[in-house]
Amino acid sequence: MGADTDEELVRRIGAGDPAAVQAMVARKLPRILALATRMLGDAAEAEDVAQETFVRIWRHASGWRQGHARFDTWVHRVALNLCYDRLRRRREWTTDELPEVADEAPLPDALPGDEERRVSQALQRIAPRQREAIVLVYYQELSNIEAASAMQVSVDALESLLARGRRSLQAMLIGDDGDD
Amino acid sequence: MADERKTADVPLDAKRFAALADAYGGALHRWPAAEQAAAILFAGTDEGRAVLRRADSLDTMLDRHRVEAPSPTLYGAIVSGAVTAVRQERRRRFWWLGFGLAGVGLAGAVAGLALVTVVNPDIQSDHYVMDANATSFGDAGPDQAEEDL
Repeated sequence: MGADTDEELVRRIGAGDPAAVQAMVARKLPRILALATRMLGDAAEAEDVAQETFVRIWRHASGWRQGHARFDTWVHRVALNLCYDRLRRRREWTTDELPEVADEAPLPDALPGDEERRVSQALQRIAPRQREAIVLVYYQELSNIEAASAMQVSVDALESLLARGRRSLQAMLIGDDGDD
Repeated sequence: MADERKTADVPLDAKRFAALADAYGGALHRWPAAEQAAAILFAGTDEGRAVLRRADSLDTMLDRHRVEAPSPTLYGAIVSGAVTAVRQERRRRFWWLGFGLAGVGLAGAVAGLALVTVVNPDIQSDHYVMDANATSFGDAGPDQAEEDL
């Protein structure tokens, strides 16, 4: 594992340096907001998650010690937990088990300029764990090891979630399941 | 983990290359670092190009999903909340440190007392010496003059 580029910033925040606070928000807010928006499909809820994530960052800054995970991975884990809290609160599921089966029916063809909404809908229709894997690796550009660490699964399990998620998206957005 | 088992020295076969494209998409920079070198070699083949082309079509769709940049209002709210939160946390930690030190001190005192009790148990009181009517000469024995009588 290379040097954690956030470590020094976290230390300065813990010491009460206002410039470090601003630098941390500038560095992490766009990433956290993007993660939450794609996980929840709701901009307002994503902003709430971003704010709550930062409250936790400030709370842990003065006592942060690098363990097995990098700071960025830990931040992703915190934001994801907050997203899952909200997904569960929506009562979309009757049990704690989140569904693994996605609704893969093809989405209607998009009108010009409407593809973005179509992709957003497709992302919300795949299983949350598959969505999480795709958001972390594809959109957040975490390495496979970092993403697996944030999701607390093995790299093999991550690859399986990614592949199943992409196959579902392929079926919904392009109209086939990716098999030749 | 699986990633640690695979190294760049092991050439990728078509099956593994397709599995990686299924999982990570058509951009090799997202693929496991340990397999990128082998993947670049395979990507130059006809079979590799076909697999990547297919993965790229979904990537192109996914790239259309963009998230707006954070608003200045959100940015400001988070920054202003930080000052209070960090200060409160530091104060909380300070008090816990104080309680911790007090606890350690108390524990030390109790341990010290226990040690003294074990090492130096109660000595039987010397009633003679402790007798309030006794003097420092109380054990001097009978007076010589009386003895002579």
